[in-house]
Amino acid sequence: MSDEIVRAKTVLPAAVAHQVGSAEPEIVYEVLAFVIAQERYALPLASVREILKVPSITEVPRAPRDVLGIISVRGRIITVVDLRRRLRMAEAAIDKGARVLLVDDGRELLGLLVDRVLSVYRLRQDEVELAAVMGGDTADYVTGIGRPKASKGTRDAEARTQEEMLILLDPGPLLRR
Amino acid sequence: MAGSDDRKDDVRDEFLAEAQEIVESLSRDLLVLDQGQKEGHPDPDLVNEVFRGVHTLKGIAGMFGYHQVGAVAHALEDLLDDLRLGRVELTQDVLDVLFEGVENFQRLLGEAKGAGESADVDLSDYAQSIERVSAGGGRKETSLESYDLDPGVLAVLTEYEEHRLRTNVEQGVPLFRLVVRLSLASIDTALESLKTRAKPLAEIITYLPSMGESDGDAIDLEVLFASRASAERLEEVLGGDGARVEPVPRKDGHATVPPPERATVTSAPPAPTVAHVVAPPRPPPVPKTSAPPPISHDEPEDDEEAEIGGDQLSVRSVTNTVRVDIRKLDHLMNVVGELAIVRSAVARITDRIRARPELRQLALELHRVNRGFERHLGELQDGILDVRMVPLRQVFDRLARVVRQVAREHEKEIRLAVTGAETEVDKLIVEELSDPLMHIIRNAIDHGVEKPKVRELAGKPSTGTLALNAYQKGNHVVIEVEDDGAGMSEDKLFETAVRRGVVTEDSRADMTRQEIFNLIFQPGFTTRSSITDISGRGMGMDVVKTNINRLGGIVDVQSEHGIGTKLTITLPVTLAIIRALVVEVSGRVFCIPLTAVQEALLLDARAIRTVEGREVLTLRGGTLPLCRLSSLFALAPRRERPSKRYVVVTSLGQKRVGFVVDGLQGQQDIVIKALGRSLSRVRGFAGATDLGDQRVALVVDAPALMEEVLGGADRVLTAGEVS
Repeated sequence: MSDEIVRAKTVLPAAVAHQVGSAEPEIVYEVLAFVIAQERYALPLASVREILKVPSITEVPRAPRDVLGIISVRGRIITVVDLRRRLRMAEAAIDKGARVLLVDDGRELLGLLVDRVLSVYRLRQDEVELAAVMGGDTADYVTGIGRPKASKGTRDAEARTQEEMLILLDPGPLLRR
Repeated sequence: MAGSDDRKDDVRDEFLAEAQEIVESLSRDLLVLDQGQKEGHPDPDLVNEVFRGVHTLKGIAGMFGYHQVGAVAHALEDLLDDLRLGRVELTQDVLDVLFEGVENFQRLLGEAKGAGESADVDLSDYAQSIERVSAGGGRKETSLESYDLDPGVLAVLTEYEEHRLRTNVEQGVPLFRLVVRLSLASIDTALESLKTRAKPLAEIITYLPSMGESDGDAIDLEVLFASRASAERLEEVLGGDGARVEPVPRKDGHATVPPPERATVTSAPPAPTVAHVVAPPRPPPVPKTSAPPPISHDEPEDDEEAEIGGDQLSVRSVTNTVRVDIRKLDHLMNVVGELAIVRSAVARITDRIRARPELRQLALELHRVNRGFERHLGELQDGILDVRMVPLRQVFDRLARVVRQVAREHEKEIRLAVTGAETEVDKLIVEELSDPLMHIIRNAIDHGVEKPKVRELAGKPSTGTLALNAYQKGNHVVIEVEDDGAGMSEDKLFETAVRRGVVTEDSRADMTRQEIFNLIFQPGFTTRSSITDISGRGMGMDVVKTNINRLGGIVDVQSEHGIGTKLTITLPVTLAIIRALVVEVSGRVFCIPLTAVQEALLLDARAIRTVEGREVLTLRGGTLPLCRLSSLFALAPRRERPSKRYVVVTSLGQKRVGFVVDGLQGQQDIVIKALGRSLSRVRGFAGATDLGDQRVALVVDAPALMEEVLGGADRVLTAGEVS
């Protein structure tokens, strides 16, 4: 089993992670960032169970269009969703960097196909712009925008050199259809 | 803290499980007794059996502190004792009360299971019913005067024996005496064998030692029994070896069935101490102390008689069984599935090692070890499957009670004839079958079987027959529910369906007789305008059908107006692991459960005909509708069209469909796993399975697909394709 396994370790309990009004600029969001169609997204680290290399996916006839198919993870059948399709982006071939994230949406463990996994970010309160603040017609699965400052909170060399923007996703509304 | 709670739970579970078993066997015995009562000769042994069961239940309920259960058992025990001794006559009313007792036990046990404590259920009404029938009085005392019985014999009969004697005399069963010499050394086994031989023919009323010439080693035993068989026949079965059978003469000179020959009754002096020694069916006191009945204080005095010919009363059932949560078996099954994957991984590694000449010997050994592993794994799998199998009796017994109750409520006379109750199916299926079968049976009694008067007018016997037949047929279990009632009228059925908006008036011309009958399974269909409290309750036939489909089975109906209706349910034997045919369609692999597959054959494209836009094949004189799985699943071809194609003929009940596939990859045992929630709305698949080699294949839901095909949903898709 050469699968690359990253077990999610929750540093903060979920309740604390969502405590927005916290006074000190502590870490409030711990997220896993990844790339889909050149855009950067992130999911709460607590919701990501595993990161897998893309296994062979069995197509399911008559399934919704954004369902790529099913895989078996240690004897369990898991539905894999193509995030490109779900986010209504142009399709692309699966390349070497692609990964399947096993994400718990609260009801079911689902696989999400992403183009590339970046790294874990620990975002402080002042690095997050909530969707409620942004207003307008943001989709319900977008929690907000993360703008990690090039600082000690990040590890990735790439991340340190450039100012970046992460679209923070909420797995519930994103996956429950 | 937690430990003691756990133990309390364990104790409770143990009580509940044992009580449940007793109640189930009570229910079984009562049903047989009910049948016997209707036919006029209830088996007295069964009354004893029920008495014993209730007595044990009372004991364990007292021990575990379930006082309500104990109280009901206590009241019933008194009633049963009266029945046993003929103080109360066994009537349908009494049986009603006894059956109600079973229901009450079920309810109390159910409450106990849920609440953890025995919750309060109001049983005062029930206590009154028991009292009412108990006060009902017994049958009139029949005179024993007509028989030339020795008063000395009559004097030593126990109350029970006397009751049995009177009952037999009253029913006109001739009495016989058998004098047999038995060696004291082997008297136990000899008596046991005598009883076994006598059982089918005769009822033994009592044994008494006879004062004949007896030496120290043997004793003459006089056996008084009642039988309708001829003296010759009895002589043949029971006689021999110095034993003589003779009829007990009647004083009034009436000839009993076999003409009695005059004979004098050997006098048998009352000798209670000896009687105890020579009458082993009364259990000797010694074993009783080793396994004492749970409560000794308020046992009836004549408790010993309760044990005639039966087992010892005991607190614990001495069986070698364990009860296991089915989920644990599911888990084991999953582990077996995982092991199978490990096995194929080892096989692949073995192949790689074999490729290296210097390691050939090692590869060979590894291969052998892996073969052994594979074999044991197979046995393990079979073993787990076997454990999951339970006889259909579990659900049939429950149904028998329903039949009786519903028949009484509707003033219908129904005889239930059950065959094949020993047929085994997966525990999960048995559980899920209960509700649909119950509904089918209620329906049969409510709508099917006519009232006795109506039946007589129609020239049928006033008692209707409901047959419940089960048998295994290949990988399937077939359950038939057949009544000899009014049957269904095609015209009426169709009219109703039109009125309910299930079909349109003009569709009649296109429908076969079978299709019209199958309308009863459509949602929103009910034949009677008034909703009765029986069939109108709970589910409709459409739900029955859905439930059975969910188990991978199908239900079919056949009916003759005026003659009866038969519902046939065809189910797979197990759900946990199945054998499947692995097929290839447009470069994808699918599994078709073998339970649904009749045969697979090479498709001869020239033999395909088109009937109303549907491709069909003539197979052994019948028309086989075809369906191309690639079209049904809208699969884009991944490789060139294969030169050969195959037809997998699926059949369930009366229906057949041929699914066209590109290739057959053989058979394999598979563990079906559910698809995730996000795919719950996708129709046509029963789940998926791991084929090893990290290949995941979908398992088609054959019954659902067949229905889809026969319902015409695929017609548009297939019509476009040229063969």
